[in-house]
Amino acid sequence: MVAPELNGDGSATGTAPEPGPEPETDAQTRTGAGTATSDRPPAIAVRDLTKAYGDVVANDSLTFEVERGEIFGYLGPNGAGKSTTIRTLMGFQAPTAGTATVLGRDIRDDRALRAAKADVGFLPGDPAFDEDVTGERYLDYLARLKGDARREELLDLFDPPLDRKIREYSTGNRQMLGIVQAFMHDPELVVMDEPTSGLDPLKQERFHSFVRDERDEGKTIFFSSHVLSEVRRVCDRVAILRNGRLVTLERVESLLERGGKRVTMHTADGLTEADLAIDGIAEFTMLDDGARFVFTGDYDDLVSFLSAHSIVEIEIEEPPLEDVFMHYYGETSDRDDSSGEAGDGTASPDERDRRIGSGEPDRGPGPDGTGGRRD
Amino acid sequence: MTEILRYEGRQRVRGSVLVTIGFVLVAGLYVGLFPSVEQSGVDFEQFLESAPEAAQSAFAVGNLNTIEGFLAVELYQFVWILLLGVYVAYSGGGLIAAGIEQGRIDMLLATPISRRRIVLEKYLSLLVPIVVANLFVPIAVALGVGAIGETISLVDLYAVHLLSIPYLLCCGGIGLVMSVAVDRPSIAQRGGLLAVFGLFLVETIASSAGVDWLGGVSPTRYYDPAEILVEGTYDVAGALILLSGAVALLVVASAYFEARDVN
Repeated sequence: MVAPELNGDGSATGTAPEPGPEPETDAQTRTGAGTATSDRPPAIAVRDLTKAYGDVVANDSLTFEVERGEIFGYLGPNGAGKSTTIRTLMGFQAPTAGTATVLGRDIRDDRALRAAKADVGFLPGDPAFDEDVTGERYLDYLARLKGDARREELLDLFDPPLDRKIREYSTGNRQMLGIVQAFMHDPELVVMDEPTSGLDPLKQERFHSFVRDERDEGKTIFFSSHVLSEVRRVCDRVAILRNGRLVTLERVESLLERGGKRVTMHTADGLTEADLAIDGIAEFTMLDDGARFVFTGDYDDLVSFLSAHSIVEIEIEEPPLEDVFMHYYGETSDRDDSSGEAGDGTASPDERDRRIGSGEPDRGPGPDGTGGRRD
Repeated sequence: MTEILRYEGRQRVRGSVLVTIGFVLVAGLYVGLFPSVEQSGVDFEQFLESAPEAAQSAFAVGNLNTIEGFLAVELYQFVWILLLGVYVAYSGGGLIAAGIEQGRIDMLLATPISRRRIVLEKYLSLLVPIVVANLFVPIAVALGVGAIGETISLVDLYAVHLLSIPYLLCCGGIGLVMSVAVDRPSIAQRGGLLAVFGLFLVETIASSAGVDWLGGVSPTRYYDPAEILVEGTYDVAGALILLSGAVALLVVASAYFEARDVN
């Protein structure tokens, strides 16, 4: 196994296409994008990016790359610094140190970044619009500033009441209007801050399916989320941010494998921790007539254990993101806890093993833009 | 190249019409009062002489018993310079700060449009209330003056309004600078309002306090409606100074907005 390594300068090496078994993902069904984009700079390349507001370091020396044609999840609990990165990438604020490129343009160069923005879509977190105009008029306005080649097509999928004034919109309708405007000029890269917040489950599903289609067309999607299950369903790769530092950067499959499942069960015969003598049990808590634990072992073991008990009720679910952090990346919120992981943009060998040692063929950012996933 | 200006301008039409109606009503009120003031035979000059020196310099203008003098003092030097100036400065204070506070400006910043252009076009949208008020209020004044059987030079009347535009642009520029420097529109708007009011007071007091030069910082120094209406002289140099001031404020606001973080 050749593990990808992030070098001190943020570039990546060791990303030869992995010969090992490839997880089944939608990514594999893509065609063309890899070969067509291999000579282009990454969609986003973040290099030692630091943003401080006074004494508060919101982003601390972040380094990662988002390749062309992938869905990249930017995951972290609320307040981790996700929006800070996004706003810095969009040029709304200047980095305190380090820099980044968006479609190959340096974010510190306003003129260059503006040229890139013609090909970038953006959806802010909790998008705000002029309240006194109708959705239609607002889209007309933005269309004159950046184009709207795909507006009608998008409105078939996401249908806010365009003839009504925006002040009458529900949160979901605002979010849909935001999504339409983010994609309507057919950008190569779309950056979104919590894009599904406020959408009803049906629309969320529609959105997920839409971004997967966009990715298959070669578009790059970068979005932040604090919901693990969302990222699990749509992303190819995930960067996890915590307290402004990059905790891990990996393919979504390996993240989930180590995330485990949270099992809550009630049995007719009662349970003790001693009953659960199988590998992969963590955070065991006794409940009345049952137990709750996080399971990361072999599912067959779990099933045979369960079959030996009379189960009254059982729930097997994604653990909350915070639990994944606590269990796999250390519970402490002490910033020093993650030093070496993101402090200088590199990972120590131990850290790296811990991150990508799951046996999953993990592909870090590749300098050729393929990440090893596309032939 | 004028998409933002056109959009923002349209947003301002309603407010501009309302403000103009307000000023038309006030103008009508003053014009309607003039006959009774004239008939009362009060010697305003004598009244002013007994007033404090600062008040004299604020309102010292020819004869209040003529329609020109009366309008210059009552309508233009007070209502127009102060109230409309304050309104425009207040509006200017909201230009950028409101979008920052509510997050609306993100949508604009994400487009390939430069910050300079955003500032410029939003600022120019202040021309909507300025132009609408300056088009319709003089018509109302002229009609009103005719209705009470007085006459007034229409050229001078329009000159008062035309030359007020550079002054009002300066007021808007003051608001704009506040708007890029402060994130909260309520503070930027009040800041613009107080600045214009404060400068008006400075100019009024400076000459009587023996620091006449200090009044030079106030836009009101360069626009004198009484001079135009009563004496028929136009201070074109003053208008150019005001325009230069407006441009300078625009440049400062633009540079500041380009350099700052929008969080």
